[in-house]
Amino acid sequence: MDYALHILILMSIYSIFAISLNLELGYTGLYNFGHVAFFGIGAYTSALLSISGYPVMMSMACAMTAAGAAGALLAVPALRLTGDYFGVATLVFAEMVRLFFLNERWLTKGPMGLPGIPRPSWLNEGVAGMPIYLLFCLVLTSGVFLLVRRLTTSPFGRALKVVREDEYVAQALGKSVFILKIKSVAAGSVLAGLAGALWAHYISYISPGDFTLNETILVLLCVVLGGRGTNWGPVLGVCMVVFFGEAVRFLPIPAGFGRFIAPLQGMAYGMVLVLMMLKRPEGLVPEYRR
Amino acid sequence: MSYYAQLLLNGIVAGSVYALFAVGLTLVYGVFRFINFAHGELIACGAYFVLFLMAAPLSLPLLGAVLPALALTVFVGLAQDRYVYKPLRHQSHITLLIASIGLSFFLRNAIQLVWGSDLQTYGIGLTRGVSFFGLSLTWIQMVMGGTALFFLSFLYILLTRTLLGKSLRAVSDNMALADIMGISMKRVGRAVWLIASVFAGTGGILMAVDTNLEPMMGLTNLIKAFAALLLGGAGNVWGALIGGLIIGVAENLGVAFFSPGYKDFVSFSIIILMLLFRPRGFFSIAGGVR
Repeated sequence: MDYALHILILMSIYSIFAISLNLELGYTGLYNFGHVAFFGIGAYTSALLSISGYPVMMSMACAMTAAGAAGALLAVPALRLTGDYFGVATLVFAEMVRLFFLNERWLTKGPMGLPGIPRPSWLNEGVAGMPIYLLFCLVLTSGVFLLVRRLTTSPFGRALKVVREDEYVAQALGKSVFILKIKSVAAGSVLAGLAGALWAHYISYISPGDFTLNETILVLLCVVLGGRGTNWGPVLGVCMVVFFGEAVRFLPIPAGFGRFIAPLQGMAYGMVLVLMMLKRPEGLVPEYRR
Repeated sequence: MSYYAQLLLNGIVAGSVYALFAVGLTLVYGVFRFINFAHGELIACGAYFVLFLMAAPLSLPLLGAVLPALALTVFVGLAQDRYVYKPLRHQSHITLLIASIGLSFFLRNAIQLVWGSDLQTYGIGLTRGVSFFGLSLTWIQMVMGGTALFFLSFLYILLTRTLLGKSLRAVSDNMALADIMGISMKRVGRAVWLIASVFAGTGGILMAVDTNLEPMMGLTNLIKAFAALLLGGAGNVWGALIGGLIIGVAENLGVAFFSPGYKDFVSFSIIILMLLFRPRGFFSIAGGVR
């Protein structure tokens, strides 16, 4: 039962993360391969602030601000690049952020990570607090889901889609492509920061190893599998990926084969990503086009 | 003074191997117009195949294992093209990019599955260095520099003096026109993957002889190759060569000024700076292999 709660909490947090990536990748057509950087910035900001005694809710708000600011700061120069190059710049940015977490020991304790991140004060300790935390996550996830759906069906969202399809058309319609893209990246980063903070307070221990390229690939898989540019796609993708990832633990695996599980899972994820591109690039929930 | 000269020398040796990686990456980009993220895994494949051939059932000597290992790497490179990139050739760049990320993740995990994620070596042991003018150079470093020089001069002759090289340059200049003129795209495509795989595999083996093997070695070196590619301008083979040397030197001289934990920061910063200020490289050409 507790394990089911754990899976649901993970799904809920990852949904926010995937929705935030989808806002950039699916709606605006910005291929952000360093999205985990903002997840990490959110997690570390919230963890550091709450460990030094600030209230958890305030730390989370700061985490969102920090991630959003980092996103906007990165976006201003990086958005001069197009397509593949933007992807590489963001990927490199994420690696730089990870190296920063790893090497600035005075702040982040380096590879040892940050243990003992507090949960919100109104929550019971340990397992007893899980149902409430799940509720908290679900409320936030639904909030984010509704907000993004509202955003993407509004004129702003349609403008984003125009930018994705053809920048010149957007310009001809009098939209500033640059401003639209910055807004999209900043909003995506704020939400990724929120997901990171939620995750840090749930797991209560973070280290630089949690924010590698692998996490970006995982969330990319969720978005691509579910369907880029749709509201339900990323959520569906997350549910499938997390469920598959956690269900493996219940398989009757003979002792001694434990070390093969993680690489096999990774191979499956990579394979699914390639197969989706080959056979069904639009994802399981295709985007509705009139 | 001789400390810096030594770092410079080490940098040139390391840089000549980075040049091998970058040349393959830039050739693929020049002809097929996408960044092959799985190029890094070709590097790792070369190194691990040698390890495989040197291990128990076959126990070949190091030199005897090199050629079959390269043949296997070429096989992986051609299979990448045949089963993933070729069917996607007329899709958008982004589809190819995501597929190559998925493929790279798949291969990296496959390596981890077979050989585990620990550091490994060929177990050749330390070799005595040769000193001259107060500088020292190990035999391994000499082999690294010599092999790189050999392969790059071979490439120079291939590109400038043979018909295949000429058609390769024509295709990267204008694929449609080259096709109309009756240049066999199949042949050129195969040649590109062959060169890219052999160069990547050789470089990987040299790296592994000099340091060690680990599943992430592909990704680490891919980022350096990418920095070199950008310095030279995407698609520019000679630019990539010089770019590789610059990255190697900058990284090794950087150690004198920053903490070694930030060694990779050098190539990251070069990537970011180049993308922002000279996205076409220092030897800017409009496109194509020169």
